[in-house]
Amino acid sequence: MILLIDMDSFFASVEQAHHPHLRGRAVIVCGDPSRRGVVTAASYEARPFGVRAGMPLQEAKRLCPDAEYVEGNPDKYVGVSLQLLDLYVQYTPDVEPFSVDEAFVGLGRRAPTLERAIEIARVIQREIDARFGLGASIGVGPNKLIAKMASGVHKPRGLTAFDEAGFCEHFWPLEVQVLWGVGPQLAARMRSLGISTVGDLARAPAALLKGSFGVIGPQLKEAAHGKDDTPLVPYHQGVDAKSIGHEVTLPRDCADRDDLLGTLLRLSDQVARRTRTEGFVARVVALKFRDHRFRTRIRQRALDTHTDDHARIFTVARELFETLWNGEPVRLIGVSVAGLAREATDQTELFASDRRTRALRQALDRVRDRLGEASVVPAGSLGYRRALGHVPFGSVASRSPGAARSKPR
Amino acid sequence: MFETLNDPVDVLTAFTDGKLEPLRFRWRGSVIRIRKVTGRWSRREGQALLRYFSVEGPASDTYELCYDPRGPRWVLNRAWTSGNRE
Repeated sequence: MILLIDMDSFFASVEQAHHPHLRGRAVIVCGDPSRRGVVTAASYEARPFGVRAGMPLQEAKRLCPDAEYVEGNPDKYVGVSLQLLDLYVQYTPDVEPFSVDEAFVGLGRRAPTLERAIEIARVIQREIDARFGLGASIGVGPNKLIAKMASGVHKPRGLTAFDEAGFCEHFWPLEVQVLWGVGPQLAARMRSLGISTVGDLARAPAALLKGSFGVIGPQLKEAAHGKDDTPLVPYHQGVDAKSIGHEVTLPRDCADRDDLLGTLLRLSDQVARRTRTEGFVARVVALKFRDHRFRTRIRQRALDTHTDDHARIFTVARELFETLWNGEPVRLIGVSVAGLAREATDQTELFASDRRTRALRQALDRVRDRLGEASVVPAGSLGYRRALGHVPFGSVASRSPGAARSKPR
Repeated sequence: MFETLNDPVDVLTAFTDGKLEPLRFRWRGSVIRIRKVTGRWSRREGQALLRYFSVEGPASDTYELCYDPRGPRWVLNRAWTSGNRE
């Protein structure tokens, strides 16, 4: 049996647990509340006002002006998430983090029946509450699909278990979009074929599904029956990332080319640093930006060879930016890399200058490993830092304790 | 709202069973007794492991303290006291 443990409104709940006066009140976690941005998480008390994650902060303040707006702290949430994983591995080593606030827990022979799995789930749920003051909703099932979908049935602090028959009984009357992995576009295509519910999908002819959706067609039909053979991958075995990226919502719409390029340089440097730290090289660079009319554009370009160099990533990101940007104010900008590999299989260092550049990167990485990420940054991004003084989830200055008293640069 | 401070503070600290536990701290001329540690987490900055504590003081005021081993020193990062509640 498998559990999917989903922390209820995780970021907001952590703040309520750490700051008891926030309990029972509408709490909205965001970037710097004095600047604009988006809602990162809303407590259950804030949801009746219509506040949702991803909503612009201005709209949230209009809907729920009396909420407590708390600047989020990713280090804190990751720290608590790791402490939760430590708790789960006391029950079984088969723990697969699914996101910062969700994890699959494989019970294997410890729980041969649904009833035994429910007992263990209940104990874990109580321990999460006792040790962390946090609520969790848990789904229980014979596979990851059923556990994941069951976890969303009763929230917050729910505990829902299905076998395959129970899964079909509960989900078949519901809209097909509730099925894990079926997004709005896929659901629309299904509806055009007369498939509106999970049950319709389960009963649809396999040939129709294969003809319409290719190889995933039969898999979707299996999923509608609650069947899933996706293995649980314990996190000590690790799973490689598919992409690495950073993005930032600017404090105000920006049409200044130098500021935008400085931002791109800083983001490229962060992405390259993470790529190297995690032992990857990348073959694809992508640029994302959203203009002041909330139009989002994403473009990517493949490189001739793999790289982990911020200058190469920035060069491509800048070219993509110059192609896409029409001079209108920009609200959000992001850089990511994909096509990740553990080692470059191509010839990346033909010349001595390449080797010198690599040696320099390694030296700078050693400085950062020792003194922290803000110890060395590209000079071209300093203007951006002065202009914004703020990166997602906190100012650069505040990342160094006591730094607020230091003189501005 | 939280008040962001990053004020260096003196903290009476217990080191027991390999654990670090703040007991009380001096801030703005007052000694604040910590009633309860409500949360803890850590963050690596270069080689240094910074330890953070959410703590509850009298009258349900809450604070976030950071122990930086490079000093060593304590820093009061944020406070939410009855004085700054809205």
